[in-house]
Amino acid sequence: MRPVYLHARCELKPGDPEPDFRSLFSVMEARRMGRLLKRAVWTASEALKEAGIDVPDAVIIGTDYGCIENSEFFLKALKGIDDAPMKPTHFMQSTHNTISSLIAIRLGAHGYNATYSHRGRSFESALQDAWTQIALGDIDTALVGWFDEMTPALAESLIAQGIEPKEHALAVVLSANPEGAIEEIPSLRSE
Amino acid sequence: MDTLIHITGAGVVSAVGCGQGETLDALRRGRSGIGPVRFLRTAEKTFLVGEVPLSNEEMAARCGASPDLSRTSLMGILALREALTEAGLPDLTGIPLISGTTVGGMDKTEQTFPAYSPLHDCGASTDAIAAHFGGAPFATTLSTACSSAANAVIFGANLIRSGQADIVAVGGSESLSDFHLHGFGSLMILDTAPCRPFDATRAGLNLGEGAAFLILESDASVRRRGAASLAVLSGFGNACDAFHQTASSENGEGAFLAMQKALRMAGLRPEDIDYVNAHGTGTPNNDASESAALRRVFGDALPPISSTKAFTGHTTSASGSIEAVFCLLALREGFIPAQLNWTTADPACIVPSLGGPASLKHILCNAFGFGGNDSSLLISR
Repeated sequence: MRPVYLHARCELKPGDPEPDFRSLFSVMEARRMGRLLKRAVWTASEALKEAGIDVPDAVIIGTDYGCIENSEFFLKALKGIDDAPMKPTHFMQSTHNTISSLIAIRLGAHGYNATYSHRGRSFESALQDAWTQIALGDIDTALVGWFDEMTPALAESLIAQGIEPKEHALAVVLSANPEGAIEEIPSLRSE
Repeated sequence: MDTLIHITGAGVVSAVGCGQGETLDALRRGRSGIGPVRFLRTAEKTFLVGEVPLSNEEMAARCGASPDLSRTSLMGILALREALTEAGLPDLTGIPLISGTTVGGMDKTEQTFPAYSPLHDCGASTDAIAAHFGGAPFATTLSTACSSAANAVIFGANLIRSGQADIVAVGGSESLSDFHLHGFGSLMILDTAPCRPFDATRAGLNLGEGAAFLILESDASVRRRGAASLAVLSGFGNACDAFHQTASSENGEGAFLAMQKALRMAGLRPEDIDYVNAHGTGTPNNDASESAALRRVFGDALPPISSTKAFTGHTTSASGSIEAVFCLLALREGFIPAQLNWTTADPACIVPSLGGPASLKHILCNAFGFGGNDSSLLISR
């Protein structure tokens, strides 16, 4: 097993000013993409830039609850709420892997691609997957992200379950290369 | 593969039945489980579906779980129970549970929306399965749309390869929901007639549902426990088409790379493959794209290929593990499941196998998802 290193970390914290997305997206693209996807692509691209990597060997994303805004648009239409129209785009962009797939399409990343969605464990699982594959020597680099959006309805449900509602926009780059690393990432074995 | 990974247990629930016995009988007789909607709460009755032939209450009664769980969790419990029993394991003590789903508890939220059900999310549906078996040391959920369960198998295998686990329970579960029935409907990829994978007249898929779990185990653990090895996972591949959010590329790049990776990992040549259980949804786009990928991998010497989705419908997130269990049965019993509903060749597609007895050693099992999440598992005797 090889050691695994952290090479870059980019995060948009709650309350941080919204970055200028114009450098990344055309007006048309920006219109099609929700805030979650824009923040995801922006943090991923910043982290890769920092690590000096164009196309990572793997794109692995954690999302605790997925693309819930689009799910709610589609659910509203399904339930006849507010005469919302049933749009294929909302359905297409409601699946949890919308984020990892969009990042892969933009990067032309044909390598390993996965999405974990398991409440507070999502990012940890994504990190463990990347760590394991680099340690095994299957891949050399991985982009790992943690992206979540909140809606009033989901926040209400989580609070009722004693879970703090949180948005996430975090991207890190892992690599087998010790040169220029921020730190080594120890084994993530979960118990 | 650098490490021997045994499959020591399997459990399956789909439209063709509950358990390996009913499943094998249906696969051998060519009996499809696709029909009109019986259990799903929906106003959309136009499309045929592959429903598990049990109500939530019947499933709950069979496994002693609460009927208030999501259907995804109930089907998952039934499948995992069979897998653990076959492997001779009483529960999940010391065994990580890695499941795949996308729908999760959407069926529950459909009843409470605009409020969410606390069982809504993917993680909640996996946690409910783990809780039924006494809890797992850790549980996590892959959600890569229709390849979720295949990717759960891959992550579990990597935990064993890296020495992070000796035994893992891997697979996936997905119930039908009004949400994705309408969603696939809005994409115009559902057929009102039984789906016809690789046929020139194919016009879309039939949505299905179900669950399947495998017990993967290291060689040392198999020896220590004296467990029986049903087969080995000799390779796998995960690649991304990186082409479009829902459509597949014309040359099947993601599918090609996934199959190629699996072969390379197993140290096998294309001619070593005795059967391919294709993703074969029955949509014009998937089947043409997958055929292009198959031709790139195998050239003119295509092995027998069939899609069992004409039996079960497209069981979406669970399809990877459900079809892996079908492959295990085919390997053990020595037969190729027939391509049902195929009559007319399409130059853009491979000509599928009409099934029959066969001595099988190596089987490739494909599962591709929205977002170009393409995975391939290689199961060997």
